[in-house]
Amino acid sequence: MSVLRPRTLSARYARTAYLFLLPAILFFAAFFYLPIGNVVSTSLMTGPQADRFAGLDNYAQALADPAVRHSFLVTLAFAVAVVIGSIVIGLALAMALDQPLRGRVAFRVMLLVPYLTSVAIVGLLWRNILDPELGVLNRTLSAAGLPEQQWLNTHPLLTIAAVTLWQGVGYTMVLFLAGLQGIPETYHEAAMIDGADAWRRFWRITLPLLAPTTLFVSVMAVISGLQAFGQAYIITNGGPGDATDLSVFHIFNVAFRTRDFGYASAQSVLLLVVIVAFTLVQLRAGRRGEVQY
Amino acid sequence: MSPNLSRRDLLRLASAAAAVPILSSCAGAPPAQTAESGTFTAYWNAGHDYQAYRKVIAEFEQANKVKVNLQKYQWPDLRTRLLADFASGTVPDVVEEPGGWVQEFALSGNARSLQDYVDRDGAAIGFPADWRPATVERNSYQGKVYGVQLHLTCTLLVYNKAMLSEAGVEPPTTWDELLAAARKLTKGDVYGIALNQDHAYANPWLLQAGVRHYDPATRQVLVPHDAAVAAMQFQADLIHKHKVAPVPVSSTDYSGPQKLFSAKRAAMIITGPWDLGPIRQTSPDIDLGFAAPLENDEQATNAAGTSLLVPAKAARPDLSWDFIKRITALEVERAATKEVGMLMPRVAWAELPEVRSDPAIKAFADALAVAEDSSQEVRLTGQFGKFDEELKKMYQSVLIQNEPAAAAIEQFAATAQTFLR
Repeated sequence: MSVLRPRTLSARYARTAYLFLLPAILFFAAFFYLPIGNVVSTSLMTGPQADRFAGLDNYAQALADPAVRHSFLVTLAFAVAVVIGSIVIGLALAMALDQPLRGRVAFRVMLLVPYLTSVAIVGLLWRNILDPELGVLNRTLSAAGLPEQQWLNTHPLLTIAAVTLWQGVGYTMVLFLAGLQGIPETYHEAAMIDGADAWRRFWRITLPLLAPTTLFVSVMAVISGLQAFGQAYIITNGGPGDATDLSVFHIFNVAFRTRDFGYASAQSVLLLVVIVAFTLVQLRAGRRGEVQY
Repeated sequence: MSPNLSRRDLLRLASAAAAVPILSSCAGAPPAQTAESGTFTAYWNAGHDYQAYRKVIAEFEQANKVKVNLQKYQWPDLRTRLLADFASGTVPDVVEEPGGWVQEFALSGNARSLQDYVDRDGAAIGFPADWRPATVERNSYQGKVYGVQLHLTCTLLVYNKAMLSEAGVEPPTTWDELLAAARKLTKGDVYGIALNQDHAYANPWLLQAGVRHYDPATRQVLVPHDAAVAAMQFQADLIHKHKVAPVPVSSTDYSGPQKLFSAKRAAMIITGPWDLGPIRQTSPDIDLGFAAPLENDEQATNAAGTSLLVPAKAARPDLSWDFIKRITALEVERAATKEVGMLMPRVAWAELPEVRSDPAIKAFADALAVAEDSSQEVRLTGQFGKFDEELKKMYQSVLIQNEPAAAAIEQFAATAQTFLR
């Protein structure tokens, strides 16, 4: 049979490739695509058991729901802060640790450790540090004669974005570091001979040649920013009020607190569409700016 | 490079999109373990795994030749797991719930009526005669019993006797006295009182102002409106106007006031028996005082506490009922109170020597006489989840963000109208 015994060399290569891919395809099918299909079908249902057909009612309701809109805007603001912070701080740290410093390996490890820690532990850790009355941060500020801050009450969204950056920026740094080390030194040497200063070399050589890394970092940061959940769940419980009601946290509450699985599923599908749309736009825009060398 | 997406890009994109974890979470959590014939599964609160219960469980195992799988969760995780179980159809044999779920799940058809067992065994075990009537009512739906109250708790004003004595302050009995006391007790980095970020702690204030969460006759929330505004504003003013209480911080943790109290940074807190253990453990030198429930329009506090329910699809309801009977026996209540100071729902429990001789337990036990369940009417609408979520937003916007109570309650009422129609 032709399927089992391909006639051409390329067909045989293709068969081998598909066989290697098969476990991953089965894994994704079982644990991602089937649940996604299940969510899409649930999004068309209503009731506490999601057992009554509702058509597209859940989608219409979600698009008109001010709470959904609010949580999406909160999430968008959070994602923007995380994306910009990841790129700027990650790149700055990578450039600093790309220099021949003493102990730079130790610094790199120290910066990467928070990324390896679970969001639950990081959340509990920062919740205690930021406690306005008993937290270490305000005690330190007070000891230094500085005014104490209500971090989680006055700027809750910014605070959880900062905690997210603290946790994830080590990973971004490693990516940028790999990108920096992939830029041939000869470009910098040639630019220096031509009289370019460090600032000019950064803008004209380093940054353009880091475009693929920057694109990857920004795509991943947007996806993880829009999917953020643990920060709101562990640190703020979505509050104060609904100030940190991130989309996934909102969806979780709709599903498991108010017990409307159909409505939660519809919101999940809409969020998926938004994430895919953002990613496509980023990929298209990013590819246009790529520089070949 | 071409700006067009290659097939590989699309595959990558599809993989990234597939990483949306919420989708898989909403599609249902991993199914519960299949109920094995030799295993009896109980979902339990992580903080309620008492030796007194372990002893009963051992007896239950021996009598029924089963192994009890006591799965312990925090309440939000227990709920997530249970709802996923309802969806999958593989359910535990018995569930401890935090109050309110019995009627919710009876309404949705997920809880089994225990009325047939109550009719058969009720007289022998003293149910419902020996249970406080409110605890039977909150576990019944359409005249049938769906759950049995396991613990019955309430909140009181707990104070540091030394601090009050030093400031020459008597334990307050009214809101005005509370404010006056808190003013005298606030000095330096010590607050007179610490309020909780958890909106459930608004209930005693609302009840003392004569406010009900929901009036089914008029379909209005937080009635009477003016009293609700006054109750919420009074709490906010303690923080923002009189500055005798710190601004609470929104989180999933309700132990903030207890930690401040234990650190002697707050002289008074409103709490239940669950905070006494941590206070005594971390600050054994604090001499605890217990005030009677405060009085405003009326003297009241909120009734809370856990109950046991049996899922409708539980395979062995006879065993589940036997478990419930054993673990709610008076002797078990006595042992649990002796072990951890937990309050119990039996009328006979309140008269036990262990209860009458312990000042802390006695204070709470006496307060149960004026403890009320504030959310029963909302629960029976089937919309308690949404109501509670909106109540949380309102409470935090007033207490933490200092929004005027009148505006916040108006907004809350308008939102509640959309789903309580």
